[in-house]
Amino acid sequence: MLLEVKDLVKSFGDTEVLHGISFSAESGTALGLLGRNGAGKTTTIRILMDVFRADSGEITLDGNPFSAGDHWIGYLPEERGLYPKKKVCEQMVYLARLRGIHKTKAMENVDYWLDRLEISEYKNEKLEKLSKGNQQKVQLAATLVANPEIVILDEPFSGLDPVNAQLLKDVLNEMIAEGKIVIFSSHQMPLVEEFCDDIVILNHGDVVVSGRLKDIKKEYGENRLILSSDNYSMPELRKVLESQMSDIVKIDKEKKNFFVLEQKPKVTRERILGRLLNSSVKIEKFGVFEPSLSDIFVAKAGDEYE
Amino acid sequence: MSSFRVVLGFELKEYFRSKGFMITTFLIAIIAVVGLSIPRFIDLGFNRSEEGSSSREFVTDNSRVIIYDRMGYLPPDELLQAYSNFQYAGSEKEVEEAVSEGSADKGFVITGPTSFKSYIYNADMFADEGAQIGRLLSYGKARKYASENNIDFEQFKQTLNPEISSESVILGKDTRGNYWYCYALVIIIFMMIIMYGQMIATSVTSEKSNRSVEVLVTTTNPNSLLFGKVIAGAIASLFQMSVILCAAVLTYRVNREAWGGLLDMFLNIPLRVLGIFLLFGLFGYLFYAFIYGAIGALVSRTEDISRSASGVMMVIMVVYFATLFQLSNPDGIVIKVLSFLPISSYSAMFARVALGTVTLVEVIVSFAVLLISVFLAGFLAAKIYRMGTLRYGNPIKLGVALKTIRRAKKQAKKLAKEQAKEGIETANEDREER
Repeated sequence: MLLEVKDLVKSFGDTEVLHGISFSAESGTALGLLGRNGAGKTTTIRILMDVFRADSGEITLDGNPFSAGDHWIGYLPEERGLYPKKKVCEQMVYLARLRGIHKTKAMENVDYWLDRLEISEYKNEKLEKLSKGNQQKVQLAATLVANPEIVILDEPFSGLDPVNAQLLKDVLNEMIAEGKIVIFSSHQMPLVEEFCDDIVILNHGDVVVSGRLKDIKKEYGENRLILSSDNYSMPELRKVLESQMSDIVKIDKEKKNFFVLEQKPKVTRERILGRLLNSSVKIEKFGVFEPSLSDIFVAKAGDEYE
Repeated sequence: MSSFRVVLGFELKEYFRSKGFMITTFLIAIIAVVGLSIPRFIDLGFNRSEEGSSSREFVTDNSRVIIYDRMGYLPPDELLQAYSNFQYAGSEKEVEEAVSEGSADKGFVITGPTSFKSYIYNADMFADEGAQIGRLLSYGKARKYASENNIDFEQFKQTLNPEISSESVILGKDTRGNYWYCYALVIIIFMMIIMYGQMIATSVTSEKSNRSVEVLVTTTNPNSLLFGKVIAGAIASLFQMSVILCAAVLTYRVNREAWGGLLDMFLNIPLRVLGIFLLFGLFGYLFYAFIYGAIGALVSRTEDISRSASGVMMVIMVVYFATLFQLSNPDGIVIKVLSFLPISSYSAMFARVALGTVTLVEVIVSFAVLLISVFLAGFLAAKIYRMGTLRYGNPIKLGVALKTIRRAKKQAKKLAKEQAKEGIETANEDREER
C-alpha cells in the first residue's frame, strides 16, 4: 500500500497553516512526522483522519482517493480521552465493536493488547483509577485493538517512561514487520531515528525535509568532517582553523568537544588531513561527520534559534 | 446500522447500570405506591359522600365548633350529626374569645331563625364555613313549620327535595370527561421533555468534555453515534416513566375504593386517543430529544447546557401553556395551527382528537410533518456533533454552527469538483502520451 499526500492546504479563518504539504508512506515502513510546536503535524494528521477537511489537495491510497472511514485505521489523537468512569475492557470492546469486530473477537483482542502492553491487571479497573502512564497505554491498546491496517499516532511517546517507550517501540516494530503503514509524529528524535525509515520535517506549514532518513543523513553529512585536538582548547582550535585553514574548511558547528567542519568546494578530505598533519594541531579525532536526526531537525526547523 | 446498535447498547447499559438512575426510578415508583395507598390506611374523606349520603342528612365536620344559640333554633340531633365536636357557649363574647384563643376552630352565633354570624380566626380560601349551619337552620325551620301545621315532616321533605335521577347520552365527545386526562397527558409529555432533555444533552456533551469524541468520530459514523445516544436516552427515560406510571396506576386500581374513584377521570382514556397520544407523544418527545442532543453537541462542558438550552426551553413553555389554555377551545384556530407544527403537534393534535373535531387526513399530515422533522433534527444534530468535534471552550451559537456546516458542505463540493476536473485532465494527458 502506498499512501500519498499531495499539496494539502488548510486555513483556519484568515491564517493559512498548511501551505501545500506533500509526502508519502509505504506499507512495512514507518514515517516520522516531525516539526516544532505549531508546525502543522497535528493538522496534517487530522486531515488524514478526516477530522478536518483540507481547503485543497489530495490524499490517495494506491492511487485511489483515500477516505479514512473506508479503512481500519488505528488512530491515537493528540487530545487523549476515553471514558474515565468506565472499565478498561468495556471501553476497549466498545471501540473494537464500533469498527465492526464481533464481540468475541473484540474480547480476544482486548486480552491480547492488554497483555502485550503489560496492563492486564487493570482490565476490570475504571480508567480514572490508573496512573497517567497506564492510561496512555490503555489509549494505545484501544488504538490497536481492531488490528488496523494503517496506524496513525500523534505523539505516541509523550507521557511514557523509557521502559514503556521501549515497549511501544517494539510494538511499532512488529507492526512495521507485519507490513502496516505506520505514521506518527514525535519530538523525541532518538526514538524516531531508531526505527523510522522515512521522515518528513514540517516547519511553519511547509515540508522542509522529506524522504529516506538514510539518504537525508548522507546528504546532510556530505562535505562535513569532525575535528578535535589534544593540545588546543576549543577556542584555541577555532583560532587556528580560522587563521590558517579558512581556505579549505569552514566551521559549521561547535559541539561540546569537537568542531563540525564544512569542506570548501573541490577540497578533498586527504588535502585537509595533510594540512592538519603539517600544522601545530595534534589530532585527537578526525573523521566523516554523521549527523543525528536532532542535528538535521535543528538545522531545518530551528530557524528562530539561529 | 450495526454501529448504531453498538452505540445504543453501550449507552443503554450505561443508564441501566447507573445506580443513580435506577435508584431514582424505583424511589419515585415507591413514593407513588406509598402516596396512592395512604387513603387505604388513613381516612382522607375521599369516599365519605358514598358512606353518608344515603342514611345521613349532614356530612360530619370533626372540627371544634362553639355555638351560641340563645333561642334554640338549631335542631339538636342534626346539630350533633353535622358537628361531632361542638359545644354551646353562654354568650357571643364567649364564642369570640374561644375562637381568638384557639380553643375552637370556628364559632357561630345564631341571631334569629334565619340569620347567624360566624367567627373564624383565619378565613380559608375555599371553605364555606356558613353553609352547614345555614342548612341546619333551614332544616330546623322546615321541621318547625311541619309540626306547627300537622304535616308529616318526612313526606314534606321528599316533596320539597325529590330525588331526581338522570342519565345523559353523549352523541359527540365528552369534553368534560376527556378534559382531565388530556390535561394530565399534556403535563406528562411536558415533564418528560423538561426532565430528560437535559439528561440526553449531558450524555452527548460528556464525550466532548472527556475528549473521547475525536476517537469516536474517527472510528464510526457520527449519525450512528448521535442517534444511538439520543435514542438510548429516550428509551431509558420512557422506561423510567413507564415504571413510575405502571406502579401508580396499579396501586390506584388496588386502592380505588379507598379513593372513592376520585382519579377515575385520568384513567378512562379511549384507546383511539391513547394510540394517538402514544404516537404523537413518542415522536414529539424524540423531536425534542434530538434538539437537546444538538444542544449537547454545541457545548463542551455540561455546565453550559442550561445556558444554551434556554431558547428551546422557552419554546417548550410557550407550547405547553398555549396548548393548556386552548384545551377548552379544541376547534379554535390556535390549536389547529399548533397541531401541525412539529414543536407543538405532540400535545395539540391529540388534544384535538380527544376534545375537538379532526379528520384522519389532518392527523396523517401532522404526523408526517412530525416524523420528517424528527429525522431532520436528528441529522442536523449529528452534523453539529461532527462539526463541533474539536471546538472546545465557549458554547457555539446555533447560527454559527449552521453557517459552518453550510460552508463545509460548499467547500467539500468545490474540492470534489476540482478533484474530478484534475482526474479528467490527468486521464486526457495519459491518453495523449499513449
